[in-house]
Amino acid sequence: MSVAAVLAFDRVTVRYEPGSRPVLEGVSFTLDRGERAALVGLNGSGKTTLLMAAVGLAGHEGLILVDGIPVRRRTAGQLRQKTGFLFNVPEDQILFPIAREDAAFGLLRRGVERTEAYRRAESMLAELGVGEVAGQPALHLSHGQKQRVALAGALVTGPPLLLLDEPSAGLDPPGRLSLARLLGRLDAAMLVATHDLDFAARFCRRFIVLAEGRISYDGPDASVVSQAWGTEA
Amino acid sequence: MRALWHDSWGSGRGPAVRLAPEARIAAGAALFAASLAAPAGTGRGIALIAFVATAWTAACGMPLRAVKSFALLGAAMFLPYFLLVPLLTGAGTPGPSGQGGFLSALAAPWDVVLHGFAGLFLTAATVTSLSASDFRRGVLALPLPRLVTGVVIQIVHQTAVLFAETGSVAAAIAVRSGSGRAGTVLRVLASVPRVWLPRIIHRADRVSAAMELRGYAETDLRVMGPTKPRAADAAAIGAAVGLLALAAAIRWDWIR
Repeated sequence: MSVAAVLAFDRVTVRYEPGSRPVLEGVSFTLDRGERAALVGLNGSGKTTLLMAAVGLAGHEGLILVDGIPVRRRTAGQLRQKTGFLFNVPEDQILFPIAREDAAFGLLRRGVERTEAYRRAESMLAELGVGEVAGQPALHLSHGQKQRVALAGALVTGPPLLLLDEPSAGLDPPGRLSLARLLGRLDAAMLVATHDLDFAARFCRRFIVLAEGRISYDGPDASVVSQAWGTEA
Repeated sequence: MRALWHDSWGSGRGPAVRLAPEARIAAGAALFAASLAAPAGTGRGIALIAFVATAWTAACGMPLRAVKSFALLGAAMFLPYFLLVPLLTGAGTPGPSGQGGFLSALAAPWDVVLHGFAGLFLTAATVTSLSASDFRRGVLALPLPRLVTGVVIQIVHQTAVLFAETGSVAAAIAVRSGSGRAGTVLRVLASVPRVWLPRIIHRADRVSAAMELRGYAETDLRVMGPTKPRAADAAAIGAAVGLLALAAAIRWDWIR
C-alpha cells in the first residue's frame, strides 16, 4: 500500500447479513493525498456502501485505512477528524435549523470560538454560492441549496479526505459547473460516487468502476465507463 | 393544522420576544404549570388561569390569525367534552330543583376545557415567541442534562423534517391518485404502514448515521450558543414562578 495513501481498501468485503451475498467483494484500491477519483457504477453496484464502509458505517471484512488509521468502531472519533462526508440526501445530515449553524458545527465541536466559526462557515457558504442563505432555516431551502449547506459543513474543517455521495444530484447545470470548479480547486483527496460522468470528468482524473460489488475498471479513461454503459455519444 | 404549528414558530412580535430564549421557555413552562395547578372550580382559580393565558399570549405577541386558528383548534378539541354533561347529570346527585346535579356534572368537562384552552394557548404563545434557532439556543442554555438537550433539539428539528416528508408523500398520493382533499387524507392514512413508515425508518437510519459521523452525540451542544443572563430574564422567570406559587396556594386553599 502506498505510504501517501489517505484512503486504502485491501480486499474489503461487505455483507448486510452474515452469509448473504456480498454487496462489496474483495475491493482493493488506494487513494493518494490530494488525488480525486470518481466512483462510478449503476444503481445498486455498491457505491454508497463503499463510502459508508470507509467511515465505519458498514461492517466489513478486510482492511480499510484512512490516513493510516484502521477503520474500526473505536477509531470513529479519529476518523471524523480526517473525513468530510456528503450524503446523497442533504436533509439527512443537516442537524441544525439554521444554515450557518449547521455549517459551523464541525468547527464549534473542535473548539473554534463561535464568532470565528460562524464567520468561517459563512465564508464557506459564500464560496459555494449560497452565502445569502446563511441566516435562513435550512428546511426552507431548495434541494440544491441544502446540498451546498451540507457540503459546506463537510468542507469547513478542511479534512484531508472527502467522501461525496452524488454531490451533483439535483443541481442545475450552472450549479453543477460551479460545484465541479470548486471541488477541482480543493487540496483534499476525494472519492466521488456519481452517475454523472461529465460532472466527474471536470475534476477527476481517475475513474473507479464498480459492477456488482467488484471493481471492474480503475484508470483514467472515462470513455471506458460510457462504453460499458452503452451511453457513448 | 400542520401549517398552523409550522407557521407559528417565531411569528410572535410581543415584548416577551426580547427576553433570552431560555427565559421564554422557562417562563412559558412555569405559566403552563400554573394554569394546570390553579383549580377551575373557584373564582380565584378561574381568574388566575384566564389572566396567565391572556397575559402570556399578549406578551408573546401571537398574531391574531394564529389566535383565531388556535381558538378553533381548542374548540374542536375540548368543547365536545360538554357533550358528556347529560350522561354525567344522570349519574350525579341532583339538588331539590335538579340544578345541583347539572352543575356538578358540568364541573368535570369545564375543568378539562378551561385547562385545555389555557394549556393550548400558553404552549402556542411560547412557540410563537421562539424561532427554531431560538428554541435550540434556549434549550441549550437551560440546566438540563446534555443527552436530554440533544434529544429534544433533534426531536423538534426532525419533526419539522417529517412534516415536510409527510407533505411530499401526500402530494405524491394526490397527484398519482387524482383524488380530492378528503380522498387524499384517507389515502395518506392508508399508506402510513406501507409508504410513510418505511420512508421514515430509512430516514431515521440515515440521520443517525449522520449524527454519528458528525460527532453530534459526543459534542456538548452548549458550544453552539451560550448566553449571558439579564435582569429582565430573571424578572420574567421570577414573575412566572410567583404566579405558579400563587396557583399552588389557591389549589391548596381549595383542597382544604
